[in-house]
Amino acid sequence: MAPLQNVVPLRWPSGPLEIARREKTGGFNARIRQTLERWHEPAALAILNGTPIDCIVMSWAAGLPADAEQQRTAAPLLQAARQRNLAVVGWVDGPAGHQPALAAAKAAGLAAVAFREFQGSSDLPVIAWSERADVPWDSAAAAVAITGNVWPGVNIASAGGDASSGPTSLPWLDSNGWYIQMARARLRAPLWVVFDAPGKGAVVPARSYANAICDSEAAGGRWVISLDDDLRAELAAGTAAPLESWKQTAAVAGFFQEHAEWRSYHSLGLVGVISDFTGGDFELSGEILNLMARRDLLFRVIWKSQAAGQPFTGLKALVYADAAPPGPALRRKIADFVEQGGLLVVGPGWGGQGKPAPPDFETQFDVRTLGKGRLAVARQKMTDPYQAAVDTQFLLSHRNDLVKIYNSGSSGCTRFTASADGKKALLQCLSYADGGRGELRTIWVRQKYRNTRLWTIGAQPVPLDPEASEEYAGVEYHLPANTPQSYLALEFEA
Amino acid sequence: MNISRREFVAGWGAAGLAMLHPARMRASVPTAPVAVARCRSYGAEFLAATEKMFDQLGGMGRLVKGKTVTIKINLTGGETTRQDYLPQGRACWSHPRTVGAVIHLLDKAGARRIRVVEGAWVWPASLEEFMLKAGWDPDLLMGAAPRVELINTNLPYKGNKPYTRFPVPNGGHLFPAYDLSTAYTESDVLVSMNKLKEHGTAGVTLSIKNLFGISPTTIYGNKVPVDESAPIPYGGRQEIGHNGSRQPPKSSPPEKDPSSPREAGYRIPRFIADLVAAIPPDLEILDGIETIAGAELPRSGVTEAVSPGALVIGTNAVSTDAVAMAVMGFDPMADRGKAPFETCDNTLRLAEELGVGTRDLGNIEVVGTPVKDVVFNFREHGGPRQSRPPGRRRTA
Repeated sequence: MAPLQNVVPLRWPSGPLEIARREKTGGFNARIRQTLERWHEPAALAILNGTPIDCIVMSWAAGLPADAEQQRTAAPLLQAARQRNLAVVGWVDGPAGHQPALAAAKAAGLAAVAFREFQGSSDLPVIAWSERADVPWDSAAAAVAITGNVWPGVNIASAGGDASSGPTSLPWLDSNGWYIQMARARLRAPLWVVFDAPGKGAVVPARSYANAICDSEAAGGRWVISLDDDLRAELAAGTAAPLESWKQTAAVAGFFQEHAEWRSYHSLGLVGVISDFTGGDFELSGEILNLMARRDLLFRVIWKSQAAGQPFTGLKALVYADAAPPGPALRRKIADFVEQGGLLVVGPGWGGQGKPAPPDFETQFDVRTLGKGRLAVARQKMTDPYQAAVDTQFLLSHRNDLVKIYNSGSSGCTRFTASADGKKALLQCLSYADGGRGELRTIWVRQKYRNTRLWTIGAQPVPLDPEASEEYAGVEYHLPANTPQSYLALEFEA
Repeated sequence: MNISRREFVAGWGAAGLAMLHPARMRASVPTAPVAVARCRSYGAEFLAATEKMFDQLGGMGRLVKGKTVTIKINLTGGETTRQDYLPQGRACWSHPRTVGAVIHLLDKAGARRIRVVEGAWVWPASLEEFMLKAGWDPDLLMGAAPRVELINTNLPYKGNKPYTRFPVPNGGHLFPAYDLSTAYTESDVLVSMNKLKEHGTAGVTLSIKNLFGISPTTIYGNKVPVDESAPIPYGGRQEIGHNGSRQPPKSSPPEKDPSSPREAGYRIPRFIADLVAAIPPDLEILDGIETIAGAELPRSGVTEAVSPGALVIGTNAVSTDAVAMAVMGFDPMADRGKAPFETCDNTLRLAEELGVGTRDLGNIEVVGTPVKDVVFNFREHGGPRQSRPPGRRRTA
């Protein structure tokens, strides 16, 4: 059985407890009941044949009368899972007692139990799960599972039907990538990202599942894969086409499992966003991260509590948007960063220093030179994360871009990371839009690397030779015509 | 009479126009020589060819010496759109080396100040940033001469008067006047630089269509406020320019006839004919060295990279565009229904009606290389009717 730190988990809704829970929700019908019953049978595990799934996450207790029945009837499924070397995680929520659930799990041979606000000790691995608002950041659990995430993709509904977001002319995009980067910068435990496929009869194509996996994995998180009702019903029925679709989805997960080391890479972003990422500060700073990602402004997350001990090496700009000013030590460190040539984008509480140096575009900041660097102090309390992200990008200047992508179907959220030893770098490009125009794409990077390989899901890596940029510094990589739109990675060796 | 645009806008008005261009007021149209040359590469060959063509047109000194020269380049569309793998300058945009070379030559001819301008598409920051995002090195332009400035004319011009009203002589087709960046008021000499290209809406995009980009999207762009101009661009020009679904902000002149057709093939040619009449370029430089056939922007299955290997330079926008159309294999006298104006009116005819210049090749002196020696039939390339595999480049 694989250690929980590196399993590929699949949400496994089944059995009496799941039925009891779903009966209370709208849309419950005989087909859903039948599917939940079938998924509780050992034979259902056959859908995992040939997939990298090595962990299933099933409802274990919810403080409902069906809890005991759930645990009793799961025995055959659990036995079959053990025979397949599958880790089974029991998910506990509601008013269920932790110790009885834990005891039952241990007796049943579960690999771990996921609790919310678990107190006490356990000789069975515990996964701490929570909503985004109350994450146990310092948890020493085997993993931390965070709920309340979005289904990644272009959000037509939020855009009034035309996928256009108004002034930005960029499509609305739902992504968990920024949040995962933020959470990973703080958590000690591996991060599981929990969200369900769109419900209520929505047709979820395999491409959307692939997006959901790529969105999490590119940011260093692991999605607890969750299939929609229709797909689960069809898989239970053994229908061929859905099974093929599911295998494609599983292959995407397998790709990232084969590149598990990529999740440990650190961001090469030039902008550090400092915040305590809680309460109102989270609403602003979190959204700044979201919109920076959307604009492909590569960033590094710096938790304020850890900022004093973190070097700002490699950064060219810092954003400090929290309402409360930094403590004296952090303020001094930030001021030194500016004096030595950095840019600080900050709220009005910082105060005005230096000589005025207004930029040549409209901005909500008063810009001044200070030492070798610049201060951009908001004229009023920072409330507009979009404007903060845009202004930061222009104040930093595209002169500092590390990457440019031409003819990209990308909706943003490009990730550029490097291994701890600096010997490898990784550029991951995602496209959330359906279809794709199929144009030939070019990727420009500032730095020249010794070797470059193009990775796409389901294909062998392809060596790429750089070409000198005709109009600018840096090098260009011309991607082959058949390169898929949805996801690609360039792996560089320094 | 020697009068600068600044002086004209400052107070001469229509009366001044009558003195300056009495022929226009009589509705007879001026003409000017157009230089044509074979040129197959950017860099030294382009520089030499352009300098020679300037001489063939009488030299640039008489036009730019001691003047503020404004070069309207063409950076249409988004900043990261390419024809296949080609940099934009080799496909659908002005090539940065042509811009640098022209800056150098105009400086050499005595220009006092040179400004490179463009209405960068839905871009809330400087033109320099737009270029950087696209992968241009603006330092190459800034370093081509002393006193070079880059201005995004989609943004309000700095100072007390961001926009200046430019009336359209002879009344205009669509609007009686246009509010443009005051940068244009401060210009003595306007240069329009574009490629030889077809256009999906206007048939061709040459020195006249290039001026579409001088209409600020803070006034003529989508989603602008009802009463006043917007502080930054919110979108392209579809609503006001293409389909006429709304009027500009009340602070700017409304359309002459809101009941006129709301069809892009009717509106866009009139919009740009109005603009070229309101602010006619003094010099047109059209790059047909490398470009795309089929449309103005890369479109999968429609456009194809081509290398006609030709340059066209003139001092009357209508005449220059007429010769350029001939180089492209088109008849500048063609009207709606004939290539390349199958679905639109002929902008050159509309500009001619406003007295800007003649499109009649019989009345235009061509200097340098004869047109017949550089004709490159665009309709033999690109386009949905004969889409070609990506990446192929046709040469003349």
